Amino acid sequence: MRYVAQRILFSILSLCVLLFITFLLSHVVSGDPAIVAAGPNAGADKIAAVRQEMGLDRPLLVQFWIYCSNIMHGDLGTSWFTRQPIASDIIRELPPSLELVFVAMLINLAISLPLGLLTARYAGSRFDDIVRLLVMAGAGLPIFWLAIILQQIVAGQWRLLPTAGRLGFQNRDFTGATGFTLFDSLMQGRFDVFADALAHLVLPAFALTLLFTAVGVRITRTSMIGEFRKDYVVLARAKGASEGRIMVRHVFANGATPALTVFGMQFGWMLGATVLVEEIFGRPGIGRYAVKAVTQSDIHAVVAVVFVVGLVFLFSNLIVDIALYLLSPRKHAGA
Amino acid sequence: MIKRWWSFPKTNVERTAIVLGCLILLLALVGAFLVPFDPMKIDFRAKLQAPSLVHWLGTDGSGRDVLSRLLYGAQLTLASTFAVIIVVVTIGCTIGIASAFIGGAVDNMLMRLADIWLGFPPLILALGFASALGASLEAAIWALIFSWWPNYARLSRMVTSDILSQKFIASADALGVPTHRKVLHYVIPNAMDVMLIQIALDISAVMLAISGLSFIGVGAQIPAPEWGAMIADGRSYVSNGWWIVLAPGLAIFITAVSFNVIGDMLRRELDPTSRRR
Repeated sequence: MRYVAQRILFSILSLCVLLFITFLLSHVVSGDPAIVAAGPNAGADKIAAVRQEMGLDRPLLVQFWIYCSNIMHGDLGTSWFTRQPIASDIIRELPPSLELVFVAMLINLAISLPLGLLTARYAGSRFDDIVRLLVMAGAGLPIFWLAIILQQIVAGQWRLLPTAGRLGFQNRDFTGATGFTLFDSLMQGRFDVFADALAHLVLPAFALTLLFTAVGVRITRTSMIGEFRKDYVVLARAKGASEGRIMVRHVFANGATPALTVFGMQFGWMLGATVLVEEIFGRPGIGRYAVKAVTQSDIHAVVAVVFVVGLVFLFSNLIVDIALYLLSPRKHAGA
Repeated sequence: MIKRWWSFPKTNVERTAIVLGCLILLLALVGAFLVPFDPMKIDFRAKLQAPSLVHWLGTDGSGRDVLSRLLYGAQLTLASTFAVIIVVVTIGCTIGIASAFIGGAVDNMLMRLADIWLGFPPLILALGFASALGASLEAAIWALIFSWWPNYARLSRMVTSDILSQKFIASADALGVPTHRKVLHYVIPNAMDVMLIQIALDISAVMLAISGLSFIGVGAQIPAPEWGAMIADGRSYVSNGWWIVLAPGLAIFITAVSFNVIGDMLRRELDPTSRRR
């Protein structure tokens, strides 16, 4: 339990750093927030009034305190391009992005874990060399470029998958309770909508994940490769266990922890990388929201996205680490 | 020393990567003098021409020669990548080495901060920072420096404390060697190899990030021939001018992969214990 308490304390510390960074971005780096908040056509007296209203004439430390307490109350400010509270904008835009990242993560795990395990088992073989080369190529692919190329070829030329959007025209009126289309359609028994939503997700998810998968294969390989040399593998072989059983039941179960920690971190990184994909595939989501906010120079909306992505990142790491701890208490006993 | 370097590449892939890497660096240096056309000159009569003998890589939606822009952009893209790396290495290593020397609570605090900072998605941090500064290539460069420094602080702190625990440091201490001499003559030369590996691997990561930021619109702005911005510009013509998007993307891809392969090779040759995960 001591580990869990320490881990939570670390997350709280991280949250403080995150708050500090976003405060720095919105209040210090961006110049005068009052000018931004007052809008492009405000005069000097309006700006002065806004400055006083926002507490910007007070010391930075006090401002930081006001900023934190606003966020704790769920107030992320008002976006001046949607004219809505940013918090409600983000609550609307987050589910489609999380859905995309979730599917991308599934693809990522489905490729990384088996390939990583097999390349660790057959390290130094021709197969290992080929995968290593593919991995290095994958790690050099610009996500946004891959997205455009996939969209043009797979969706445009071959017409295998839909080009853009979240749902097809026939399902444009579909709404659900949670905003997660995949989940909502299953709940309502609309399997046609589910298939449609999934078809729209495949290309963006694949484009989003490839770079992360390249890293994932590598990480899995390194965390597994040492396990194959351990005594218990020799023993299992001596006892006549099949190679498949050794790989899955023994090596994977023991060596997965460091790899899974990285996959937990990748979840947050992918959510950040949606800014490169969603716009191209015309999907709603916080990535596209952030890009729009950037082009409108709506700094508070951008910083709010930074904050929320950071928050999701902290949470996913915390959950993965605690889950891994609970599953194998022995490993973390000394941590 | 030279002989040692020559023996590094073991496969044809690695030899190719080195040749490509050198070629790209060379093109970034002299490419601006080789360009056949003015990379910024708009000529609507020549717009959207497919690759031909005159325009080897075709022309873009405003009639600019894609090859010329690519060559010009090599300088812009690589110079900004190296600018980020040089500053980040300097700042990060200063913090890391100082942290290792000072030790105690300061060391602990700095490294915790770096740990936390390192965790946050660098792309989204940089996006926030660049848009706070106001979108421009310089903003993107500063933004990446802002989100990348902990990598090197962490690494250099680790390497430095490794070195500080060695016996030759103890004998240097006994001789009364001053700290700045220890840093310059003991720590930095011994840390060089590990840093070099990280730098080679980071070149592609930083380049992908810069071009990504430019693509979103917080980095280099459109007429500038930065590779990411060129892809963003070409997007609207992609169905009748695929070459506008294809060429800069391939350029990024080839450069990134070459430096990845070189980094991987350096790791194998210089770091036999493979300290990093």
